[in-house]
Amino acid sequence: MHHATLDQWARGSSALHRRDARVKWLVLVAYLAALSATRSLFPMCVLGFAALAAGAIRLGRLPFAGVLARAGVVAPFAGVITLFTWLGGEGGRALAVLVRSYLSAVAVLVLVGTTPLPTLLSGLTSLGVPRFLVLVVQFLYRYLFVLSEQAQHMRLAAASRGWQAGRWRPDPAGFRAAAGVAAALFLSSQAKAQAVHRAMLARGFQGRLVTLAPPALSIADLWFLAAGVGACAGLWLAANLFG
Amino acid sequence: MHIPDGLLSVPVWAGLSLVSAPAVAAAARRAQQQTEACRVPLLGMTGAFVFAAQMVSFPVGGGTSAHLVGGVLLALTLGPAAAVVVMTAILFVQALVFQDGGLLALGANVFNMALAGVAAGYLPCAIWGAGRWRAGAILVGGMLSVGVSGVLALAELTLSGVRIPATLLGVSAALFLINGVLEGVITLALLRGVKRIDAGLLTRTTAQSGAGWTVIGLLAVLVALAAALFASQAPDILESLTEKTGVASRARALLWSPLADYQTWWLGGSWISKLAAGLVGLVLIYLACLGIGKLSARFRSR
Repeated sequence: MHHATLDQWARGSSALHRRDARVKWLVLVAYLAALSATRSLFPMCVLGFAALAAGAIRLGRLPFAGVLARAGVVAPFAGVITLFTWLGGEGGRALAVLVRSYLSAVAVLVLVGTTPLPTLLSGLTSLGVPRFLVLVVQFLYRYLFVLSEQAQHMRLAAASRGWQAGRWRPDPAGFRAAAGVAAALFLSSQAKAQAVHRAMLARGFQGRLVTLAPPALSIADLWFLAAGVGACAGLWLAANLFG
Repeated sequence: MHIPDGLLSVPVWAGLSLVSAPAVAAAARRAQQQTEACRVPLLGMTGAFVFAAQMVSFPVGGGTSAHLVGGVLLALTLGPAAAVVVMTAILFVQALVFQDGGLLALGANVFNMALAGVAAGYLPCAIWGAGRWRAGAILVGGMLSVGVSGVLALAELTLSGVRIPATLLGVSAALFLINGVLEGVITLALLRGVKRIDAGLLTRTTAQSGAGWTVIGLLAVLVALAAALFASQAPDILESLTEKTGVASRARALLWSPLADYQTWWLGGSWISKLAAGLVGLVLIYLACLGIGKLSARFRSR
């Protein structure tokens, strides 16, 4: 499953894994913003951005092929836009759209692949994102796969009784059955939420998740921040001066 | 319709992030005040449900199936403020873990689907409340929710300089309409199913309606209408600009001629031909999606 691979990557150890989550967020945003603000993507400039992404993959000891394949998820949406821009007679811009969205996806994957999600989220809290929102995200991610698995079981059970989603004729009974399945799933999620909450209360939950204090920024973190933001800003400047 | 990174121009994503961030923060504060601590797991779990519910496919005939988007359902079961927070959380996880939608574009996606989508979807229920018109309100809400989100996304892409041909705009509008109707029907069917199993659950949560949400919902619909007008006019504006500056020679692609400028080649230039071009496009996209779906199903079953 998708998340399993990502979680596995995030548990690895490398120079990039050890960097503070806040610093990684800032560098990622700098990279994405620089990529987005560079209007004319000429080959040298694309190479520069691609080299930065490749360097980050290497630094994080992530599998190149895996990251590059996973980033291909953006292809359908960006591909359609690219196609129409191309047909509109703007080949250069079409290519730029594709490169930009692909490299952005690679960059996000490097962040998620080198930082466990709880760490990423607590980094966001200390960057000023509302704690309540972060808490909801945390619960959502924690129970996402539990409920997805339950939905898959229900689907399997329905399929083994001869149920089929893609019939040609309108299928009101099938529609009602699907609504029943979704309703059962919904009620089960509400019951789970109550049970989880009781268990949390029993363990002394007081409205916020207690984590260890975020580690102080090390010198290496600061160097990484300076180098990352500097490289992105440099590329952006160079592209706008020579582009 | 989750916009990935790399398509929106800097003013668009930055501007929408500046709008979305304080709005979501305000919604989070409000939701936190309204909900006792016990509902934090509830919000996360209901968000996880919306994720999982996308695996439940509703057969709608024609060899296709639809699934729940969830904006209206969340607003009705958790209240609109909490729905904004949960929808934002969903979009965040989708962008981060599933690369479905970009991270810089998150502000725009949150604006379209979590803020405007939820507010517009809740509007009919805020006006008509829990009375006799409830079923109708849910249907209209689903349509508004999906339509408003989709139109806003198209307008943002156009505003960023992405040229979307008029035919594609028409086809997208038709798809939003169909998906919106389906969203309303699915939400209604789901809520009825819930009521059959546990009638008490929904009466506890749907009591809140307020003038505030009516105003916000109306605002969302108005913004979307303005955006729709803009998106449908923008190609013409851009085209007249390019013609004036004299670079129109290359802009007319030969490949695009069969459906160019809304017209099918065997009909005149009337609105019928626009409709026909839209329908032909719709059928083509439908067939393409059907083919891709069949292929991917075959791959998966191996």
